Amino acid sequence: MGLSVEYVVRETAGNLWRNRLMSLAAMLTIAVSLALVGSALLLKQGVATSTQAWKGGVQLLIFMQPNATKSQDRAVVTQLQTLPSIEKYFYVDKAVSYQEFRRLFANQPDLLNSVSESQIPPSYRVVLKNPSEAPSIGQIFNGQPGVKAVDYNFAAIQTLEKISSIAQGVIIGLAVILLLSATVLILNVIRVAIFSRRREVMVMKLVGATNWFIRIPFMLEGFTQGLLGALIAAGAVLAIRALFNYLIERFQVHLLSGFVLTSHDVLMTEIVVFVVGVVVGTMGSALAVRRYLEV
Amino acid sequence: MIRLENVYKSYAKGQYALKGVSLEIERGEFVFLIGPSGSGKSTMLRLLLREDTADQGSVWVAGKDLAKIPSWKVPYFRRNIGSIFQDFRLLPNKTAYENVAFALEVIGKSRKVAEKQVPQILELVGLADKMHRLPHELSGGEQQRVAIARAFINRPLILLADEPTGNLDPETAWGVMRLLERINRTGTAVVMATHDVGIVDQMRRRVIEMDSGCIARDQVRGVYGLGVAQ
Repeated sequence: MGLSVEYVVRETAGNLWRNRLMSLAAMLTIAVSLALVGSALLLKQGVATSTQAWKGGVQLLIFMQPNATKSQDRAVVTQLQTLPSIEKYFYVDKAVSYQEFRRLFANQPDLLNSVSESQIPPSYRVVLKNPSEAPSIGQIFNGQPGVKAVDYNFAAIQTLEKISSIAQGVIIGLAVILLLSATVLILNVIRVAIFSRRREVMVMKLVGATNWFIRIPFMLEGFTQGLLGALIAAGAVLAIRALFNYLIERFQVHLLSGFVLTSHDVLMTEIVVFVVGVVVGTMGSALAVRRYLEV
Repeated sequence: MIRLENVYKSYAKGQYALKGVSLEIERGEFVFLIGPSGSGKSTMLRLLLREDTADQGSVWVAGKDLAKIPSWKVPYFRRNIGSIFQDFRLLPNKTAYENVAFALEVIGKSRKVAEKQVPQILELVGLADKMHRLPHELSGGEQQRVAIARAFINRPLILLADEPTGNLDPETAWGVMRLLERINRTGTAVVMATHDVGIVDQMRRRVIEMDSGCIARDQVRGVYGLGVAQ
């Protein structure tokens, strides 16, 4: 259909500039909503990391000494098998523990470098029939030869998870509402652009412009708004990550010490932000073009 | 070139804008379409441009059955047809040159092609010296010449004109008519809907008179009023 890049860029930029206030509003709405989506995702990932060891209903962690002897180890296993209140347990060896450790302390390279795999304690993760028995069972293992430490702090973990899931729900809900309004705003911006240029559109049809030739500049307009909004939101996500890290370091919140956002997490979040931004922008303009261009 | 076979078209239920119209227009013909307002002239032009489709019967233009052209192909079909209107339909914020070049740009021709062809065609319509004026800096006749240049730049097989002289004083109107005649001599069929008695009577071309959706008269060398040409 012979669309020249120059033509499309000129038309799109012209449209955006003509309706700059509306475009700005659409862009900012997308930015705010995507920043919310991004922070909800970060929150979710952070909580998931910090509560990794407690996944699957684990209520009791028994850390072994890294240099525990075979017989010390066997003694613990025998007890785990015979105690009636234990539903099940599983062993996490040094290698897996080291992987978790690396992830948990990804933001503290000094610590990572100073600890080798051989220094990491392997652990038993225990699921109890009755969670309230965790302290009393924990006492049995605490101080036993070969056992380094026992952790049954799962109540606090559960509270953290609960709060985080409520927060995530609220944030995502807000974000969805905002994304919908962004779609409507973009739809309106494009509608206005089409209306103010209906004479031009009429002439284009008259001289045989293809429908795509007419549509693409308008659709690219919404795409650009979505992309720019996503760009702002991406910056906001990076800022939020920095803020989390600062808060954790500054206030040494014990519970949140494992609240780590790796670069991988942040990258995934940024990808989601961009995809949603572009989809919302293009969708809004596609709707507007379909309804108001009647080509 | 154009063939209508028993064409019906209604916009409101039971009220026909066209009632069983059949006609044929050959390559290179010059045809006046006359008749009172509401007689079906504009409907016919809309059908020929494929802005609408017939309810019944078939419309053939440039060898194509318009009912069978899928809507995405309509733009390509329209590139074979030039059209001009009473209200010129120029883009007010573009110069004469840009308005004509737009027709090339829109169908994907390069800037180089436009630089070569647009001055030529503006010269043909006698506006070489006013190329860079905006429409509001041109007279009505000059604006219509720009519109004709735009319609003709792709060398269409057919030129549809909907009252092209309706907004012009008689002398200017004649200028436009002479231009349309020249275009017609290059082999382009011209179909012109008009109310202009003087023009129709003097040109002595084929006249098709419409009346309430039917063809009332079709004369090879006709005049506006009733009566046979001598």
